Amino acid sequence: MIKKVLYFLIVIAIVASCKSGGDKSGTLDLDDSDIVQGELEVSGEVMQDIIQSVSSPVEMAALVKSLGVQFSNKYLAPTEKVDELTTSFQKAFNLGIYGADLGYLNMYSKTANVIDYISAIKNLADGIRVGQFFDFTTLKRLAQNSQNLDSLMYLSVHSFNQMDQYLRDNNRSNLSALMVIGVWVEGLYLVTQVANEAPHPDLAERIGEQKIILEKLILIVKNFAKDKQFSILLEELNRLNELYKDVEIVIIPGEPEPREENGMLVFVQNERSEVKITDEQLKEIITTTEQVRNKLINL
Amino acid sequence: MNMKKFKLFPIFILLSIISLNIRAQDISQVAAQCAAAADAVYLKDYVVNLDASTPGGAPNQARFALMLSKNTKYRFSVCPAPNSEGEPVLKLYDMNVLVGSTYIEATGKDFHMFDFNCQKSGIYHVFISFKDGKAGEAVGVLSFVKRL
Repeated sequence: MIKKVLYFLIVIAIVASCKSGGDKSGTLDLDDSDIVQGELEVSGEVMQDIIQSVSSPVEMAALVKSLGVQFSNKYLAPTEKVDELTTSFQKAFNLGIYGADLGYLNMYSKTANVIDYISAIKNLADGIRVGQFFDFTTLKRLAQNSQNLDSLMYLSVHSFNQMDQYLRDNNRSNLSALMVIGVWVEGLYLVTQVANEAPHPDLAERIGEQKIILEKLILIVKNFAKDKQFSILLEELNRLNELYKDVEIVIIPGEPEPREENGMLVFVQNERSEVKITDEQLKEIITTTEQVRNKLINL
Repeated sequence: MNMKKFKLFPIFILLSIISLNIRAQDISQVAAQCAAAADAVYLKDYVVNLDASTPGGAPNQARFALMLSKNTKYRFSVCPAPNSEGEPVLKLYDMNVLVGSTYIEATGKDFHMFDFNCQKSGIYHVFISFKDGKAGEAVGVLSFVKRL
């Protein structure tokens, strides 16, 4: 009988090691905000849609780079205090913040700084038990070799998407939401900071269009607002939303048109959106985004 | 007999897990290959695994929401997993308007990818299905090509 039990335990151990991907440093600290509780105002499907629709951690950085803006360390969140982030809320939110920063670093091939960020991300990912999706060893090697930067970019963004997907699949949508909100806040912080120093109509447009996603993120955060940290997050997002109320997005109709360009199928969208945002509104959004982001990363 | 079954059970579990891990690695490799392009930056992937549709019924499809931004050229690619029975088709919708597809019904032409010149910021939906309602496994990839 003992032999059978031992046999079974060995299999369970193998299963557990497969699931953790060989990760030994994962902690198992759970707090109240780690578990979705109570009735949700937004259905699971709608929540999934909203979380899924938030842009990837590299998209804002890609826009900034495409405008010819120089890289600057000052837009990055500091990683020194990562060990002081103890709650699941802090870990998940800052995971998103560092994820966006990693996207920015990768976009500019700043591999020397990447190690600090992948270490911080690994630490936080382990803290909320998704570290198995973050292949720290490979990422570190790719960053140290400064070669195969496309793989570094792919693997970091892919790992991030996998962590998010895993959290959503395992009924931990609150943490997934925090991660993507962290990405969103840091992305908005990056474009607003750049817009402040090097104004460009595309940046103003991109900042204005965030109205679309902000309204949806607020719906999600409301679900968890019984939690103290979530209620602070809601307050901060509402501060931003107030400023966005007078930002208008108008649609000019048009039909999509398929074309073939150099053997590539291209669909050209002729329906257009236009963001109506004044300089004053933009200035207020820039200032408030900085305050909100700095408050939230230190929450 | 029961004792024999008991002994085989953990082996069965172990083999299932190994097979699941191999499958996960396979699909990750497909995603990496599908995302590989010198002129585009990988943003997201969408993994689908669909059963065959019931005869006469609507084809099974997977739906994903995504935010796209104005003045941006995006690339949508779709790649089947090595053992996929069906040929995947990726369609992009703005509300209920089809704004992009890897399969052009009018010509019957199939493309592995298409670029989308986005001029309207908003939430879009990607639908992935398999031709003729077959079962299949595939990865859709969204990439950033350039600012327009």
